[in-house]
Amino acid sequence: MKILFAEDETDLREVVTAYLEYQGYQVAAVSNGREAVEKARTDAYDTIVMDVMMPEMDGITAMRFIREAGNTTPAIFLTAKAEISDRVEGLDAGADDYLTKPFSMEELSARIRALGRRKREYKTRILSFGNMELDTETSEIRALNTIGLAHKEVRLLSCLLGNTERDMSAEDLIREVWTNEPADPDTVWMYISFLRAKLQSIQANVTIDGDRNKPFRLREI
Amino acid sequence: MTGNGLYGPYYDAMTHIMTYMTEQIEAYGKAYEAEKGEKLYEHLEYRIKSEDSMTEKLDRQNLEKTAYNALRVITDSIGIRIVCLFIDDVYENIRRIKSLPRCRVILEKDYIQQAKPNGYRSYHMILDVETEEADAEGNTPGHYYAEIQLRTIAMDTWAALEHELKYKKKIANQELIIQELRRCANELAACDVSMQTLKRIIREGE
Repeated sequence: MKILFAEDETDLREVVTAYLEYQGYQVAAVSNGREAVEKARTDAYDTIVMDVMMPEMDGITAMRFIREAGNTTPAIFLTAKAEISDRVEGLDAGADDYLTKPFSMEELSARIRALGRRKREYKTRILSFGNMELDTETSEIRALNTIGLAHKEVRLLSCLLGNTERDMSAEDLIREVWTNEPADPDTVWMYISFLRAKLQSIQANVTIDGDRNKPFRLREI
Repeated sequence: MTGNGLYGPYYDAMTHIMTYMTEQIEAYGKAYEAEKGEKLYEHLEYRIKSEDSMTEKLDRQNLEKTAYNALRVITDSIGIRIVCLFIDDVYENIRRIKSLPRCRVILEKDYIQQAKPNGYRSYHMILDVETEEADAEGNTPGHYYAEIQLRTIAMDTWAALEHELKYKKKIANQELIIQELRRCANELAACDVSMQTLKRIIREGE
């Protein structure tokens, strides 16, 4: 599990980072909203934990940027103020939960676990890229033609659609798509091949870059 | 049949052309099988459109019932269908048909690349075939149209069911059936593409 953690107070940042690492998480810690947006764009995380009040760019603005880029990673806000308007604004900007400072480490860790369980439900019905649309309800992709997708192909394509600005390794994809299931890079390669052929059969102007042993990314032709 | 009915004196030439075409297709099919050890197509069907259905079609299009209209305006009096196991085989057949002697491609429609709105998938070709016999325009050598449809077994199964629906006047839940039939077409197409992909992966691994 990889966590993106944004907090400007150095002491708190170090303590929380140490605690989460002790819990077995990989933590990328940054000190302002701008760095958080940049990290979220270039790397894949399982959860985002972010302070609201930060210099350079506050957490709410950063959250909006992250969501506008199509990133649906579950996010928790840390808010110092106990004001309701602050929490409402944070949740509306795209956060899934909040914690009021001061908070207990056990509670933060429990909320991260809870969000992980809910992650699957966070999705939009129609996702599009180039001239291609993925309908997650009917499990079909459309461009000039329409074709059905298998369950795993929908999950794989959704994942690539949520990460069009970064390379996804076979391991990243296994973690996101084959959670709790046996899969190896050969499985990923086979499903990438299925998706490529299907994208071609609907004449989508979209292809999947990458190869066996090379990371994958969607690209408009 | 010669000399009578809608096709009149041209019926013999039509059967000769159909025989010529099917023999040509069977010949390249046999050559392919001898070379590669697998069939290029699963089966071949052919027919001359019955005079009854041709008459109906001319009526539908407000055309006079003449041999000229049946043979030089309508293009499917001679029909051939090639049913294949895999999508790539469909396109290999198309390549071979294009190089058959005495045949010229007039029109091609790729409903595999772009399915009809109801989900129908097939590749259609209209050929102009030359023969030493006279045609309905009085030319010798004569020219006859032949329509070739190419599809996979999955597409063929789908088309058989859709055909049944087309000739039923009243069906309960028609809208729902049409919608589900479209869904099936998209699922069958998905299987065709996945089977082809698996075949390629298996070959690469050899």
